[in-house]
Amino acid sequence: MAKKPKKNAGEKKAAKPTDLSPRDKKTLGSLVTVAVDVVEAAQKKRDPQLAIPLRALSNVKFNKTKRMIEMGSAKNARQLFNLNQAKSYMQSLLVAKGCKQLIYDNKNCSLRSLYYMLKHTIAGTKEETFAGQEECDPIIEDMEVTLNALREELHLFAENRGNIAGPIVVTDKGFDIDCARMGSAGYSIPSIMEPDRIQFKKCTADFVLHVEKGTVWNRFNEDEFWKKHNCLITHGMGQPPRGVRRMLYRLNNELKLPVYCLLDNDPWGYYIYSVIKQGSINLAFESTRMAVPDAKFIGIRSMDVDRYQLSDSVKIKLNDTDIKRANQVRNYPWFKDKKPWQKEVETMLANGIKLEVEALTSKSLSFVTETYVPARLKDKDWLD
Amino acid sequence: MPAQSRKAKPEKKSGKSSKSKPEADAVEAKAATNGEAPTAEPVPKAAPAKRRSTAEKMAEGQRDISVSEFFAKNRHLLGFDNPRKALLTTVKEAVDNSLDACEEAGILPEIWVHLEQTGPTRFKIGIQDNGPGIVKKQIPLIFGKLLYGSKFHRLRMSRGQQGIGISAAGMYGVLTTGKPVKIISKIGKKHPAHYYEIQINTKTNDPEILNGKGEGVDIASGAKMQADLEKHKVEWVAVNDAGEELESGTRVTIELEAIYKRGRGSIDEYLEQTAIANPHVRIHFKDSENNERLFERSATTLPPEPKEIKPHPYGIELGRLIAMLKDTRETTLSAFLSSSFSRVSSGAAKKICDAAKVSTRMSPSKAGRHEAEELFKALQEAKLPPPATDCISPIGEELLLKGLHQVVPGEFYAAATRPPAVYRGNPFQIEAALAFGGSPAAQRVSLDALTELLSQSDARTLRQFLTSNFAGLGSDAADKIIAEAEFGARQSPGKLKKDEIAKLHEAMRSVNLDDGQTMNVLRYANRVPLQFQLSACAITQTIMQTNWRSYGITQSRNALPSGPISLMVHIASVWVPFTSESKEAVASYPEIQKEIRLAIQTVGRKLGMFLRRRLEVKAEGERRNVFLRYLGEVADAVSDIRDAEDQRDELYNQLLEVAKKKTAQADAKYDNRGKKIEDADDLENDKSVLIIPREEPAAAK
Repeated sequence: MAKKPKKNAGEKKAAKPTDLSPRDKKTLGSLVTVAVDVVEAAQKKRDPQLAIPLRALSNVKFNKTKRMIEMGSAKNARQLFNLNQAKSYMQSLLVAKGCKQLIYDNKNCSLRSLYYMLKHTIAGTKEETFAGQEECDPIIEDMEVTLNALREELHLFAENRGNIAGPIVVTDKGFDIDCARMGSAGYSIPSIMEPDRIQFKKCTADFVLHVEKGTVWNRFNEDEFWKKHNCLITHGMGQPPRGVRRMLYRLNNELKLPVYCLLDNDPWGYYIYSVIKQGSINLAFESTRMAVPDAKFIGIRSMDVDRYQLSDSVKIKLNDTDIKRANQVRNYPWFKDKKPWQKEVETMLANGIKLEVEALTSKSLSFVTETYVPARLKDKDWLD
Repeated sequence: MPAQSRKAKPEKKSGKSSKSKPEADAVEAKAATNGEAPTAEPVPKAAPAKRRSTAEKMAEGQRDISVSEFFAKNRHLLGFDNPRKALLTTVKEAVDNSLDACEEAGILPEIWVHLEQTGPTRFKIGIQDNGPGIVKKQIPLIFGKLLYGSKFHRLRMSRGQQGIGISAAGMYGVLTTGKPVKIISKIGKKHPAHYYEIQINTKTNDPEILNGKGEGVDIASGAKMQADLEKHKVEWVAVNDAGEELESGTRVTIELEAIYKRGRGSIDEYLEQTAIANPHVRIHFKDSENNERLFERSATTLPPEPKEIKPHPYGIELGRLIAMLKDTRETTLSAFLSSSFSRVSSGAAKKICDAAKVSTRMSPSKAGRHEAEELFKALQEAKLPPPATDCISPIGEELLLKGLHQVVPGEFYAAATRPPAVYRGNPFQIEAALAFGGSPAAQRVSLDALTELLSQSDARTLRQFLTSNFAGLGSDAADKIIAEAEFGARQSPGKLKKDEIAKLHEAMRSVNLDDGQTMNVLRYANRVPLQFQLSACAITQTIMQTNWRSYGITQSRNALPSGPISLMVHIASVWVPFTSESKEAVASYPEIQKEIRLAIQTVGRKLGMFLRRRLEVKAEGERRNVFLRYLGEVADAVSDIRDAEDQRDELYNQLLEVAKKKTAQADAKYDNRGKKIEDADDLENDKSVLIIPREEPAAAK
């Protein structure tokens, strides 16, 4: 009995999808293992469970030599016969089922499509398998870590968020795309940025300037900053998605371009920088593919309030959540030992205000592109 | 209805003092003015004493007041404040007396109450019992003379302990309609029945017999009875439902000015509540529209006969002591004390006399005011055992459950009878019974009954109508109903059209009233329901002060708890302390409140267990459901991933078995953990608890 399912699985692998890439074969293998585990547990009258690596601060480690966040080995058991976990267990298997389908069909689909694909009313009840996409997304991340497969290996992608402009030509689906000729909107960075899909054909830029959001990026694009300074400009609509991070990583890693970040001066801006630089806590397993340990933080700085005599009307008071988050951020191991960063956070807390990049607009519209960033770059005035 | 119990008027018939009742005050005050110069003594009913008048002049206006006259003017003291209450009081007095009589004679009571409308605000009410009957010469006195009766001189648990008596009701009838009270009574199979038409002479407090030339008439027994009854136009139920001829009984018919309305404080409610506390009684009720309702008995044994006791020294008052000293036939104080009081041995009597510094051999009649006072003090301070408590006959847990279940629909019933206790030298006993669940009164009413209630109502708003007519319906619930039926807030209940009434009826049925419902409190004193002055009563106050939240019931601070609960509390005592002579609320003695609290806590705890267990069962079921719900999905997904759809069912069944094993373990854990499950088991075996299995409305979930 115990042999049967394995035999079956083997049969099918050979029978059904003949032309699977080695990568897909590997992913499918881990999916089947999960299913077989359930069958075996059921046959032994045991409680089937999934061992899901824990995605939390308590299970990440800062690797000082690699200068990035790595995932620890702690795992959570997700059990079918546990009142609090029964539903998420069921959902995990649904996601696995959906991914298997995508691999068979050799199609990619968005997180939202997968959610709709798997969403249905559970037989005999009025309950939906997923109440909303926000219930589905974390389960997908859980399955990524559990199966030790990347999102793209599960044939999933997220919505495109983030753009690039500047002197680089990329090859996407066989088309050469010159990012210097993308007009006002720039090239939309795809969610899947793997080398087998996107290749860098030609690049003459000297560095990458990553800004926090689209509005700021538009300013830089309109002022043709990338032309004047021979660089690439990117943004990630706030916390950059994996596609943007992977793009930065590859620009830094393959083309050896330095990455500079222009972000808001608040705890969230600090953390965006932290994620770009050493990876995120939630997706610590992706750090090696995404972290850019050499990325620099060029602003906005807490000291800019005084340095540029910014008017009171552009200062935003810190609220309780900001203060709480700031203290969390400064206590992360990768910030803790950096005195300049500690001072930066302390200054912000002492000022009691945060600054958005747009605050510089109060000086003049193009102050940030014409004065602020060039001055930082020239003086090598940044935080590391 | 027997002579002995026909009336109950404590004290003062013999002119002795004590009890500070208004009427007593009045009489005493009057007596006092006879000897002394009139002062500014407030004499409620006396001729107005003008100032600047001489004592002689004033004396002309000073004369005796008959009790009857006094009551005729102060009818509110007797419960005749308004026409609606007058009807209830009349029924109540008659039924209470009938029950007392039947029980004393050892007859299982069966009572007929017939209501007949004779004018827009006039009703004829006939109450008949199967009691022992009344001997001929006593009939006029019992029904035509105030303060004539048997219960007054003895210390014993009975319904009419300070009762006003049926004669007051008769007097009210004569006053308002001019029609005499009609009584027919039969004391045995072979005996003829006697028929009297009586009216009370309010001046002299004497009965006047109007028929048979002042002698009444005899109605032959046996075959000729029917003819005689017809001849004299007497109503009489000759056979009971079982077809047996009534061997004895009494029927009193009174015509009076009254209004008949259902709802709170109505005859219907009184009879319903009486049936709960008297499960051995069968009552037939025919209302003015000839609707008949039978309150069937759920027990066929009479409550044990309560024993008569002597007063306990702690409960005595100085005035009463002085009166007793004067009346006693004993020749020495020592003998007087030990024979007149309960729990006073000759040794204790000597100690009391010593403490009072009087001789044990002193003649009681010679004891003056000073000696009496000393003696009184000594009596209060003496160390005596508490009074015997066998003089009380409680309803008992079993009968409480039966009675409550018979009348109040529900799922869970619990009852508790406390051991007897003592307040101020009077033994008393508290019982509580609780019914939970079942549809509230507002959801049981039929469309026709609702239409009728609406037409009778004088409430100004629909909300007022709902809260005043349906027990346990709070204003929140009323608002919910009104909102559901889409009526305006100030909708008048009298002007609803037929389809609107139907809408209201529908709303009353569909709205979930469990939350907005307040506890329905049923109060009893010596098996008699107390229908008025809810908030002034020690019972209500104690219920409010009890923390019901710990039993899983919602309750606002210092308010009655809410939920579909009926709680009945019964105080049985040789002397129930009422807050006023209207006998509507129990006074708050700490000893009594403590016993009430303990009793309701006992039933509350059991309700708590029941509710908790129900929640647990529900949670357990949900737990199982959660697993079962997801098993299918899991089996589907796994089979799909493995491309082994043919094994899907096999996997599903295996998972199902694991699920069963898992939840079985959870069950076992509950068992082993012990306490909770043990509680529940106790509940099943508890004789003071009754659980009605609920009919699940199909297993939808």
